[in-house]
Amino acid sequence: MASPSISAGFRRALSGGPTVVAVLLFVLMFGIYAERTSAATTVFGITNLLNDAIVLAIAAAGVTLVVLTGEFDLSGVGVIAITNCVVATISTAGSYGWLSSLAVVLAIGAGVGLINGLLVAGLGLQSLAVTIGTMICCEGAALLILSAPGGEVADAITNGLTGDLFNVVPVAAVILAGLCAVWLVFKRTRLGIAIFAIGADASAARLSGVNERRTRLAAFLIAGLCYAAAGYMLSAQTGTGDPRANDSLLLFMYASVAIGGTSLMGGRGGVVGSIVGAGILTVMQKMLFALGVAEFYTDVFNGVIMIVALLIGNVSAALAQQMRRRAA
Amino acid sequence: MSQTEGRPAPVLDLRAIGKRYGATVALQDVSLTLHAGEICGLLGENGAGKSTLVKTLSGVVTPDSGEMLVGGTPYHPHTILDARAHGVATAFQELSLVPTLSVAVNLFLPRPGINRLGMIARRRIEREAEAILSAHGIDDIAPATLVGDLSLGVRQRLEIVRAMWRQPRILLLDEPTAALSDREWLFDQVAIAIGRGASILYISHKLDEIRRLCRRCVILRNGHKVLDAEVAAMSDDDIFSSMAGRSVVETFVSVPSVVRAGAPALRATALRGTGVDDVSFTLAQGEILGVAGLEGQGQSFLFKSLVGLNSLRSGQIEVLGTPVGLPSPRAARRAGVVLVPEERKTEGIFKDLTTSANISLPVIGQASRFGMLGRRAERRLVERVTPAVDLAARYLPLGIGSLSGGNQQKAVLARALITGARCLLLFDPTRGVDVGAKQSIYRMIQQFAASGGAVLFYSTELDELVHLCDRCLVVYRNRIAGEVPRERLSQELILSIASGRGSAPPGAGAPMELVS
Repeated sequence: MASPSISAGFRRALSGGPTVVAVLLFVLMFGIYAERTSAATTVFGITNLLNDAIVLAIAAAGVTLVVLTGEFDLSGVGVIAITNCVVATISTAGSYGWLSSLAVVLAIGAGVGLINGLLVAGLGLQSLAVTIGTMICCEGAALLILSAPGGEVADAITNGLTGDLFNVVPVAAVILAGLCAVWLVFKRTRLGIAIFAIGADASAARLSGVNERRTRLAAFLIAGLCYAAAGYMLSAQTGTGDPRANDSLLLFMYASVAIGGTSLMGGRGGVVGSIVGAGILTVMQKMLFALGVAEFYTDVFNGVIMIVALLIGNVSAALAQQMRRRAA
Repeated sequence: MSQTEGRPAPVLDLRAIGKRYGATVALQDVSLTLHAGEICGLLGENGAGKSTLVKTLSGVVTPDSGEMLVGGTPYHPHTILDARAHGVATAFQELSLVPTLSVAVNLFLPRPGINRLGMIARRRIEREAEAILSAHGIDDIAPATLVGDLSLGVRQRLEIVRAMWRQPRILLLDEPTAALSDREWLFDQVAIAIGRGASILYISHKLDEIRRLCRRCVILRNGHKVLDAEVAAMSDDDIFSSMAGRSVVETFVSVPSVVRAGAPALRATALRGTGVDDVSFTLAQGEILGVAGLEGQGQSFLFKSLVGLNSLRSGQIEVLGTPVGLPSPRAARRAGVVLVPEERKTEGIFKDLTTSANISLPVIGQASRFGMLGRRAERRLVERVTPAVDLAARYLPLGIGSLSGGNQQKAVLARALITGARCLLLFDPTRGVDVGAKQSIYRMIQQFAASGGAVLFYSTELDELVHLCDRCLVVYRNRIAGEVPRERLSQELILSIASGRGSAPPGAGAPMELVS
């Protein structure tokens, strides 16, 4: 009696698509980590985990939007570097430095996104090449602002964004929940639908009246804002500026997107999956550490787990389609 | 120019439209008028400029020269939405529905209804979509279904509904029956639109449709208008020869009445799986076995099952007397069973490769030495099969994407032949193919069968089945509902079985032999 319903339930969960699979994987790894580390389930432990994940999560959210349209965007690490250095330079000026630096940082992100968008959507250049260019420019600019690690981030930022509300709710959790909520609304707006449509079949979308240029431009622009927010969060975490701190972040951003079930060809996936993907990559480090795996094996496991996640996600998508067809 | 006496100004007036792509002339000096309540046929072989004309009118392509007037005022659409705002709507041949979105969202793109949060109001638009669909005589499509999960035929109906529901003044239908088996539905919709006062430009390869719907037709050839005349005044041959620029003597070469009952080439026994329910049949060597059916009756699943592209739960397949179990694509190919698939654009061709590479792909090993492809060896292999499909050698080095649909399909057939296939499964091979290429394809099928090959042939065009096939299986609801022998092949009989009536229509003679 029990076994068929469990397997049916399992089948249903598995057919929920790659995002559900990613969540299950996250829960599994968190379970192992928590079982080994008593502090994992305390408010402190959870805040810690979320703080470690949030920069990657916000940046991956931005990448997701561009990837959904079928384009690539590598400029994220550049924007994060530049914004980190800006925050470390100007946020301590005056009591509203946290606010003015946030405004400057968002303007930078929007500016880079706009440039990417105009070059790709307006002039039809290849996004991969364009965004490599802007990434390198931004990293260079970061070095101009801050030639070596240093600077200082306002306390309002470091304390305000890394702590807990009422000593219970991690601020990072609130931000991530807010991001998910915004996404769940956004993906059902006309712009959201247009982004999915263009990624799935650009010419059909165009013939359906979707404004392809404007949609791509918007995707790059919003992505730029996300990277800026990620850079701001990074500054809050580290309390300092480092023009070269995030070189490994780029690949992890794309890994989060892929593990979260977004097709790198565009048209399928979503931000929630990418956030979970970022969570998986973060909790995996902690799990491997808790299991006592030597650090130089960690990357091997990172890679293996990523591939396993992709495999399961693939099976899951196929199952979901099968069930839909049967229902149709 | 003012209006002619006694006749109101045309709803649509094209004057000397020209469009070139680089050195290629797509349209030159094309003028055309469309009056209120008129259906004008637009004919031409593939590559004649029909699609460019449609795209120009739809705002997708901007003409280089000439002017367009809609309702007497200048018309310069830059996007689909511009066109829509002027009351011009198009059902595109390549189907412009987005596969990952629902039926309802697709109907309302790019501005589906939203709620106060800016989110798509799903329930509301699904309700509205349901009303629109049923107003157009469709009640078997759930508005929440993803378009990608629907069959090609259903998608074509949706494409047409999407163009029609806003009640445009001018409706452009580009090959609307290419994937449609239920043409009567379309004709009803066309009649309703005309009754409302709309004007229709009806693009088709199918003369019987043009004759049935249009009083007047315009023929394009190589981007020029070569004819603009009353349909009734012209014979089929007149029309074909203006399209082709040469005379096509007869549509169907009569089949030589040789005895062709060879040994079984392909025997399927009790196949069961997705979309296939207890299907058994035997295809003999030298035989052309037709398959007919309304859209979505399992024919597509059946064809895919035979080459292992659709998973079967049970059943047995024998090729030339050797059981192959439930086939995999590889086992099928090794056994000499090759499928020419339904969707040429996505399943048939590699659009960025040359025509030659598209053809030689399966045998590329034979043309290679030490892993390097020998161009001359490749060419020899390819040129062994191109004459059979009438594909001119000058197309071989070109990118296949630049070829007309007919030539692309010939290349796909050549690829099937190059493997030395003994059994061809052709799924609607003449869909969206011009008259000249159709002739070549028919000839190729007949020659292939005459040389002992076996052909399973599905077509949405019943006259093809009637003229070409030795027998015809009719599918209905994933089963074989009946089999029509050669001497009783007729469109009426096939249709009556295909629509589930299962018995012969009055006056058709003896009752059907039903396959158990």
